[in-house]
Amino acid sequence: MRRRRTFGLAAAGAAAALMLAACSSGGSSSSGGNGSGSGSGSSAAYNAGVTSVVNPSTHKGGTLTFDWRAAPDSFDPGNTYYAADWDFARFYSTALMTFKNCPGTCGKTLVPALATAPGVASNNGLTWTYHIKSGVKYEDGSTVTSKDVKYAVERTFDRGVLPNGPNYFANLLGGNAAKYPGPYKDKAKDKMGLTAIDTPDATTVVFHLKAPFSDMDYLLTIPQSAPVPPAKDTGASYQTHIVSTGPYKFQSYQLNKTAVLVPNPQWNASMFPTVSQLPSKIVVNLNMNPNDVDNRLLAGDAQVDFAGTGVQAAARAKILANPNLKSHADDPVTGFGWFFYIDSQVAPFTNLACRQAVEYAANHLTLQNAYGGPVAGGDIGSTVMPPTVAGYQKFDLYEATTKTQGDPAKAKQMLQACGKPNGFSTGLAYRSDRPTETQGAQALQQSLSAVGIKLTLHGYPSSTYFSNFAGVPKYMSSHGIGLAMGGWGADWPDGYGFLSQLVSGPSIVPAGNTNIGMLNDPVVNNLFTKAAGITDEAQRNAIWGQIDHQVMKDAVIVPIVYAKALIYRPPTLSNVYFNQAYQLNNYAVEGVTG
Amino acid sequence: MVTFIIRRLVGTIFLLIVVSMITFAIFFLIPRLAGQNTYQLAAQYVGRNPTRPAVLAVERQLGLADPLYLQYGRFLRGILFGAHYRSGPDVTYCPPPCFGYSFRSQLPVWPQMISDVPVTLSLAIGASILWLIGGVSIGVLSALRKGTLFDRFSMGIALAGVSLPVFFTGLISLELFSYKWPLFPNVQYVPITSNPVEWARNLVLPWIVLAFLYAALYARLTRAGMLETMSEDYIRTARAKGLPERKVIVKHGLRAALTPIVTIFGMDLGLLLGGAIITEVTFSLHGLGLFTVQAVNNQDLPEILGVTMLAAFFIVIANLVVDIFYAVVDPRVRF
Repeated sequence: MRRRRTFGLAAAGAAAALMLAACSSGGSSSSGGNGSGSGSGSSAAYNAGVTSVVNPSTHKGGTLTFDWRAAPDSFDPGNTYYAADWDFARFYSTALMTFKNCPGTCGKTLVPALATAPGVASNNGLTWTYHIKSGVKYEDGSTVTSKDVKYAVERTFDRGVLPNGPNYFANLLGGNAAKYPGPYKDKAKDKMGLTAIDTPDATTVVFHLKAPFSDMDYLLTIPQSAPVPPAKDTGASYQTHIVSTGPYKFQSYQLNKTAVLVPNPQWNASMFPTVSQLPSKIVVNLNMNPNDVDNRLLAGDAQVDFAGTGVQAAARAKILANPNLKSHADDPVTGFGWFFYIDSQVAPFTNLACRQAVEYAANHLTLQNAYGGPVAGGDIGSTVMPPTVAGYQKFDLYEATTKTQGDPAKAKQMLQACGKPNGFSTGLAYRSDRPTETQGAQALQQSLSAVGIKLTLHGYPSSTYFSNFAGVPKYMSSHGIGLAMGGWGADWPDGYGFLSQLVSGPSIVPAGNTNIGMLNDPVVNNLFTKAAGITDEAQRNAIWGQIDHQVMKDAVIVPIVYAKALIYRPPTLSNVYFNQAYQLNNYAVEGVTG
Repeated sequence: MVTFIIRRLVGTIFLLIVVSMITFAIFFLIPRLAGQNTYQLAAQYVGRNPTRPAVLAVERQLGLADPLYLQYGRFLRGILFGAHYRSGPDVTYCPPPCFGYSFRSQLPVWPQMISDVPVTLSLAIGASILWLIGGVSIGVLSALRKGTLFDRFSMGIALAGVSLPVFFTGLISLELFSYKWPLFPNVQYVPITSNPVEWARNLVLPWIVLAFLYAALYARLTRAGMLETMSEDYIRTARAKGLPERKVIVKHGLRAALTPIVTIFGMDLGLLLGGAIITEVTFSLHGLGLFTVQAVNNQDLPEILGVTMLAAFFIVIANLVVDIFYAVVDPRVRF
C-alpha cells in the first residue's frame, strides 16, 4: 500500500487555525482565489476536476510550486512508497508502463511509457516480454538500454540500502530472485546477476516469474521499473543525484527542505504523450506547516498541495462557505478506504458470529462524522474495495448504508449466536497522533457499548503502529486487542493492488503485518491464485468482486468510509483533474497560466 | 580567568558525555528493557510489508543487533574521528563530528543538521536582540513610572505576551500580515548570504512573534528587578551625592538589575539555538526545531540523539558565556 502521510503536528495549530477561520469568515474573498479567482475559464466549477480537465492549456513557462506538509521517504524512484511521490516521480523518471491521460475511469487505462507496448505473456504466464523505446536519453545525453531497467529492478533487492519501496519484484520473480542480494553485493562482473530478468538486446526486457501474475503491466507502472544507469547509481544517496529520463531534471535538492526541477533538454515530448513539460521551473517545498500550505494555495503562493489529501479544517470551512473558492475545489472519492479490522485470531473473534455482531453494531454515521463527515471524510462504505478500484461491486451485507446508525437488534442476535449474549470486552488499537482516528475509536467505543461490547482503547504512534503494535499478531493476541483502526490505498487501481496485502493469507507476517484481520481463508487465497493466471481483465475484475464479497462474509473488516478529500486548485493551475489511478490529481501534465 | 575558562570547558565536555550517555540510554536501552527487540526496531525502518530478509538487512545495515556498548562506542568514535557508511556501491564518509547515520533518510545526520543551523541562528539572534532591547526598555520605563497608565498598559501587554502561545500569535500574524494585508508575503527563509534584505524581510514576522513572547517575560522581570534595586540604600546615597538621575538609573540601578536578566538570557538563547520548535513549525522554517520535530515523528534515533547533543552543546556554551559576562556586569563577581 502506498502511504499517505499525515503530519502529526497538524493538530498542534488546529485550534488556532479554526479560530482564524472564524475570524476570516464573512465573505472576505480578497485573500483567496488569487484576487478575483475568475480567470479559470468556463469549466471552473465545484467538482469539475473529478470528471473533466479544468483550465486546459498548453501555455509554457512560469513556476509550478508544490507545498508538502511532509517529505518523501525518498525521491529515488526505487526507494519510495508514497502515493504522491509515485505521481510526482513521472516528472523525472519513466517506468515501463503508465496510465492514460484522462479524467474519470478512463484514467485507469494502462498505456506504455518507456515500453513500446504492454507486455506479452508466454502461454504459461511465467514469462513477460517488454520492448523499450529506442533513442530514449538520460539528462546527460546517454542512451537508456534494457540493462538499465534490469539494474533498476535489481537494486530494489538490497533492502539494507533501499528499504522503502514495495517488495513485489522479490516476491514474484523466479530464477535466483529468492536469494539475490542486490547489485551492491552482486558477485557478477557487470553486477547483473539476477537471472529472473533477461536482456537479450538493448531494447528487450524479459521477466521470468515463479508463478503466473497477470497484473504485470500494472506492476510495471510503479517507479521501481524506471531505468537507472549503473555507473551513476550511488545507492542510498542516489536520491540527491537522480539521473532523469522524464521531462524535468533536478537542479537542486536540499534534503527534507526544497527541491527545484528544471526542464530536461534531452527529453523528447513526442515519445511520451502522458507527461508534459509546461512550467519553466518546478519548486517543491517540503515539511511545511499544513495550515500554511492551505493559506499559500489560497493566496496563490503555491499551486499544488503535494500530499493531495485535502485541505485542513480551517481552509475547508473557508472554501465551502465561499462560492468563488468552492468553484475552484474538487471533492473526489480518492480510492483510499478507512475501516477497522477485526482480528479473527483474538477471542472471541475466532467466532464468526461475534465478528458479525460488530459489523451490525457499528454506528456508521458517527464514524463517518469522526472522519470528517461526507465532504472531508467520505461516503459510508459497505465493501472493502472503494468504487474507484477496478473490480468493485456494490453490495451491502450488513446494511451499513441503509441502517447507518447500526442495527443493535441484529447485533444482539449475533451475540446470542456466538455465545456472548451479554456482550464481551476487547481492545481497540488506533493511531493516537491522528485526530480522525482517535475520534473514530471513541465513536466506535460508544456505538459498540450499546450492545454490551466494551472496548478498551489503545493508542499508539503512527510510526510504530504496524511494526510494533497492530501489525504484530503476537502483540495483538497477547494484549487481547481484537480490533484495530486502519486505512488502505491500492498500489494500482485493481483488486489485486487493493486487496492482496490486506486479506490474502500469504501476506500475514510477524511484524509489519497489514492483514490484521488475520484472514487465511482458502476460498480467498484460491481466488487470488485463480486471478493471477487469468489475462482477461473482465474475468479478473469479476474475481476481485468475489473476493470482496467473501471477505465481508468473513467479517474481518468493517468499512467506515470511501475516503474523499477537498482539494483546492488555484485558478492559475492548468490541466487539472483527478486521476483515479494515482488517487491524486495528475501532476505530470499540470502547468501554470497567468 | 583563563583557568576558570579551561576548567569550565573541561566540565562542559564531561557534561556533554554524560548527556550523550543518558540520551543514548533513553533511546536505545530503555526500549530494550521495555521488551522491544532489535528486529522490531528495524522493522519500523523498512517501509510497509517488511519481509523478514528485508528487516534483517536493515538491522545489519544500521548495526542494531550489536551490543549497546559497541553502538555507543561507534557513536562516540564518529563524533571524534568521523565514520564511514556503506550506502550502496559507495562508502559515504561522515566527517567529525559525525552524529551517526539517519535511519530514515539513509544519510549521515551531521550534514543535514548543520545545514539547519543558519536558520535557527538567524531566528534566535534576531529575536533575542528585539526582545532584549524591547523587554528591558519597557521594564525599566515601567519601573520608573510605576502605577502610571504606561506601566499598567505595558504590563497588561506583557501579560498577554506571556500568555499567548507562539502557534497562536504566529498564525494570527501570518493571516493578517502575510495573507490579508500582504506586508510580508510568501514568508520563506532566504540565506543572508544570497540576499540580506530578503533574509530580514522574511524573518521579521517570526522575530516579532518570538520576541513578543520573550520580551513580555523580560519586561516583567526587569521591572521587578528595577523596582527592588531602585529602593536600595545605595541608590538613595547616589542621589544624595548629586549624581544625575540618568546615571543613577543606568549605572547603579539597571546594572544591578541586569544580573538575573543576563542569566536567563543566556539560558533562553542557548535553548533557542537548540531549535525554536513551535516558531519554526508555524512559519515552516527549516531550522533545528523543525528538524527535531521530524526526527521525533519519524522515530529517527540518530537524528534525535544528534539534535539533543547539539542543543546541549548550545546550552552549556551559553551558560559559560553568561558566567564570564557576569564579571563584566557585576564587579562583585570575580573568578
